[in-house]
Amino acid sequence: MKYVIKKLLSCAITLLIVALLVFVAFSIIPGDPALSRLGTSATESSLAALREQMGLNRPLPVRFVEWLLAALKGDFGTSYSYNIPVSSMIMSKIPITVTMMIMSLFFMLIISIPLGVYASYKEGTWIDRVIQIINQVIMAVPPFFSGILITLIFGVTFRFFRVGGFVAPGVDMGRFLSYMIFPSLSIALPKSAMILNLLYGSLNSEKTKDYIRTAYSRGNSSKAVFFGHMLKNAAMPVITFLGMVIADMIAGSIIIEQVFGIPGLGRILLTSIQNRDYPVVEAIIVMIAAVVLVSNLLVDFLYRLVDPRVEKK
Amino acid sequence: MDTLLKVEDLNIEFTDHKTPETVVYDFDLVLNEGDIVGLVGESGSGKSMSALAIAGLLSRHDMNKSGSIIFEGRELLNCPRSDLRELQGDKICMVFQEPMTSLDPVKRIGWQVEEGLRIHEKDLPDEEYKARAIAALKDVELDDAERVYNSYPHELSGGMRQRVMIAAAIVGHPRLLICDEPTTALDVSVQAQIVALLKKINKEKKTAILFISHDLSLVSQLCERVLVMKNGYIVESGTTDEIFRHPTHEYTRKLIGAIPNCDEMAIDMVGDDTVARVNDLTVIYRKNGREFRAVDKVSFEIHDKEILGLVGESGSGKSTIAKAMLGIEKKHTGTVEHMSEYPQMIFQDPYGSLNPSKTIGFILEEPLRNLRKDISKQERKEKVIEALKLVGLPEDFIKRKPSELSGGQKQRVCIAQTLILKPKLIIADEPVSALDVTIQQEILNLMLQLHEELDVSILFISHDLRVVYKMCDRIIVLKDGRIVEEGRPEDIYHDPKEEYTSMLLRSAGLIAKGDNQ
Repeated sequence: MKYVIKKLLSCAITLLIVALLVFVAFSIIPGDPALSRLGTSATESSLAALREQMGLNRPLPVRFVEWLLAALKGDFGTSYSYNIPVSSMIMSKIPITVTMMIMSLFFMLIISIPLGVYASYKEGTWIDRVIQIINQVIMAVPPFFSGILITLIFGVTFRFFRVGGFVAPGVDMGRFLSYMIFPSLSIALPKSAMILNLLYGSLNSEKTKDYIRTAYSRGNSSKAVFFGHMLKNAAMPVITFLGMVIADMIAGSIIIEQVFGIPGLGRILLTSIQNRDYPVVEAIIVMIAAVVLVSNLLVDFLYRLVDPRVEKK
Repeated sequence: MDTLLKVEDLNIEFTDHKTPETVVYDFDLVLNEGDIVGLVGESGSGKSMSALAIAGLLSRHDMNKSGSIIFEGRELLNCPRSDLRELQGDKICMVFQEPMTSLDPVKRIGWQVEEGLRIHEKDLPDEEYKARAIAALKDVELDDAERVYNSYPHELSGGMRQRVMIAAAIVGHPRLLICDEPTTALDVSVQAQIVALLKKINKEKKTAILFISHDLSLVSQLCERVLVMKNGYIVESGTTDEIFRHPTHEYTRKLIGAIPNCDEMAIDMVGDDTVARVNDLTVIYRKNGREFRAVDKVSFEIHDKEILGLVGESGSGKSTIAKAMLGIEKKHTGTVEHMSEYPQMIFQDPYGSLNPSKTIGFILEEPLRNLRKDISKQERKEKVIEALKLVGLPEDFIKRKPSELSGGQKQRVCIAQTLILKPKLIIADEPVSALDVTIQQEILNLMLQLHEELDVSILFISHDLRVVYKMCDRIIVLKDGRIVEEGRPEDIYHDPKEEYTSMLLRSAGLIAKGDNQ
């Protein structure tokens, strides 16, 4: 329990540092939100008035503390460009991006784990080699390009989905989900290849360990040795890797949303950066950081659950 | 008595290499109920292969096996794996060499001890499995069986893990127990306990035991009969007594000769000068907020031309002292004074101590490049060749990589590396315990010879009293970080002052002359 509190506390501190960094960075980088809102034809006096109204003239620490206190209550300020609360802007996009993340994660696991296990089982045969080669190719292709390929093959050629035909979940859940399959696949594929590789290597090294020989010496069948002993031990590096993958997937989703024309968090993040709509950018970045921290926390707990050797303090 | 196991003309040939390689030739063995037979040989002699074949654990590999292995009237060689599985973990059980890695790290001990039972005696109530597992854990003299049952392997010591392995093997009352170097990875005193335990199991349960070891003296304590293997052949077999009294094969004689004998001790002149002085050395580690004194107020001196033995079990602090003396362990109190430059170290594991991607020449040159910037490249090369010659290796080893060398050759390279700076003191931390007995002998002789030729002092760290006896002018016995006894080997040998020392002596099979019958 002490460990959990310690971990949560360190997460909170990390998040605070991220928030501070983002806040400071956007105050320092050139570019004036007032100017981008009013346009280049605005007069100096109207700009000054707007700056005053937006609170841009007050000292940075004061603005940060105010922002932080409000953010803790769920208020991330008002979007400069749209003049609506940032929180409501983000809230409407979260289901879209989260659905995509969950689907990607799902695809990633159902592709990589069975294939990794199968390739390791067939180690040294031609099937193993074929899986390895395909795996190499997929790993080398970046998600946006696999997204373009998938659009070409499944969207344009086979018409499994209508290119650019995004349907909001509120309108038609079924069509929304079926549209999300291919973007999720684009994100999942290169990551599946990595996990497959990791699991394959891990299984192959576990195979020759002494405790596996012990398991055989007790009369276990190959299947019992695999499921009873090998899988759990081989899963450790994969679990560690999952935490990193989740962070990377979020970054990947920003680009994939562009490729498939999905109005998710990635899309508003990009447009907000272009418009210097800092409250929106800050909120999204802090949120992404929070998701990464929480997923790493979960992975950490999972690891502790699986591996008794990790000290439980 | 019934014949339990009859192996005839067993030949094992690897086929997964480019050229097929036979590792076992015409292996014969008859084992009756309650027999206890030793199988002796060094690594690569084929002893473990023969044992794994009998246990049916070679079926997954690419190899040809011929001959016959008949267990309780059933042919086991090349029979389907499902038939083998009926016997494995039930009537034929194995205990492996490495207790540290032979247990599944993520399963509780109880689960692993019960595993064989759950496979072979299905559908018993859970309490029954647990009761029998606890009984087996008690049989192997684990005090707190209930706690061990709920532990994970990493929470137990090596000796306890090996007891667990044995418990898991005997839980289903096997008829044949195959032990493959079960004590090699353990401390001497634990070794003696495990051997006593195996004897007890053999006597009480009439379990036949095939005991595999490279250690002939250990086998002689346990076994009635001995088979000696070399290069895949059984070169000698007979009762233990016969083999010890009248060894017919040259290799057996070499093995017996390699058992250090206390009568032939090294006697030479120890100088008066001090090469290193350790004063009140204390090293404290903190773990989970608790203090642990790895080394506790240890003081001693090493004289020139002296070999000083530092003896103790694992955890006694002997390696920590070495590290502190070399400045690797910096968090110590007390003082270490060196009267000469460059004390050097020989490590236990020659397999892991050499960088596999560098040539021997590069490795040997390294200390010169780092510490002797004043000498030229040509001189460096000459010094490397000179060091190779000193340890009895040819010049062309300069171009070789560590992977091309045998274990003994690697340890020679490690020794050459320590000699290259012409130190007055060499610290050798278990320099032979990773090597085969006959190779051990070679390396020890080499060290003695270099000690005499080069007048170098050696701090010889070992858990093996037998080895230390032969080598050292003076011995320090360590326990829990403290010096419990210090003196000349013959004094300690005839008149140990501490119970701990006598226990170490007994465990090592060294009994004072007066007690010898």
